[in-house]
Amino acid sequence: MSRSLLRSVLELRTPVSRLSPTPLLPIRARLMHQTSQIIEPSPVAPESIINNTAVKQPPQQTSTSTTPPPSNPVHQQPSPLSPASLDPSIGTLLPLLAAQPAHYITIHIHGRPYLVTAGDQLRLPFKMPGVVPGDVLRLNRASTLGSRDFTLRGAPYVDERLFECRAVVLGTEAEPMRVMIKKKRRCRRKRHVFSKHKYTVLRISEVKVAKLGEMEV
Amino acid sequence: MTVVALKQISTARNGVGAFILQCKKMDFHYCDWAGSSKGMNGFIKSVLPRFAAAHPQIEFQVSPRPSKHPVIVGHYINGKKKTICVRNLDPLQVLKKAELLREASGEKLKRTTKPVTSSNPSVRGIWSPFHGEGLKV
Repeated sequence: MSRSLLRSVLELRTPVSRLSPTPLLPIRARLMHQTSQIIEPSPVAPESIINNTAVKQPPQQTSTSTTPPPSNPVHQQPSPLSPASLDPSIGTLLPLLAAQPAHYITIHIHGRPYLVTAGDQLRLPFKMPGVVPGDVLRLNRASTLGSRDFTLRGAPYVDERLFECRAVVLGTEAEPMRVMIKKKRRCRRKRHVFSKHKYTVLRISEVKVAKLGEMEV
Repeated sequence: MTVVALKQISTARNGVGAFILQCKKMDFHYCDWAGSSKGMNGFIKSVLPRFAAAHPQIEFQVSPRPSKHPVIVGHYINGKKKTICVRNLDPLQVLKKAELLREASGEKLKRTTKPVTSSNPSVRGIWSPFHGEGLKV
């Protein structure tokens, strides 16, 4: 084994070293190290996407066409919301939604919707690159946020300042080996094709609706 | 009135609150003589110290297994273990196998069709035809 190979092997250890040395550390301590670049949208702000695609915004929808696009959506802190940027009905109905105990949320990851509640396990249909078990992802795309009696529907997405949804990466799972037999008629030859997909498993650790006190200036 | 033990009122959900890695121990078996262990020996010499230092929550054990192919065994919290034979692999490939064992949950591989597994009751409840405004015939 050559020296260069050894050196390259030693250089490869960056993703592993990201795992915290203390496994039982509170999750909040690692929030700053979250690798959310996979889920986060492109630098194009969602508001501009809405303006490009949706022709006319009905007043009930929660899109924030008037707010300036956030400069860095990945590490953006939940800024105090200005009531002018949101629909006035949110100001009256969102506290009622937040007051009811259980919430569900339809989050979108790579364009696919998943209806989850806090504590659910979510198996993504792909292996997410660049994450290790224990990473915390902030999911900021949601189309629906609801409780037993109230539902907040986005057009197409709910304003990301109105909720807080976090998921912990549990690991990678695989499916049992699939065998597909390729066979042509009137020919004895059979070919076996094997495939085994890998999936990233998440646990929804937190679904929180924003407090109205933070919204009112 | 007999004394009845409390039923389990909550199920463990890893990641809600604390996160615990499911892999608790990894065994690395090698052979000094055999050529199929060449990559594994290089992995143990060069890569494993860093890999082990990055995972203080996993117990690492390295032991010889003469005249056999090299093997990595992962032990999991649920009591199961996974074994991967790494014969004739180079150190980078062995490292990938070790990472596979680290990220596995220890469960048996299952084919699932639904992406979301939930133990929570339904948030909006079950629809009832006798409540609400009703349907005019």
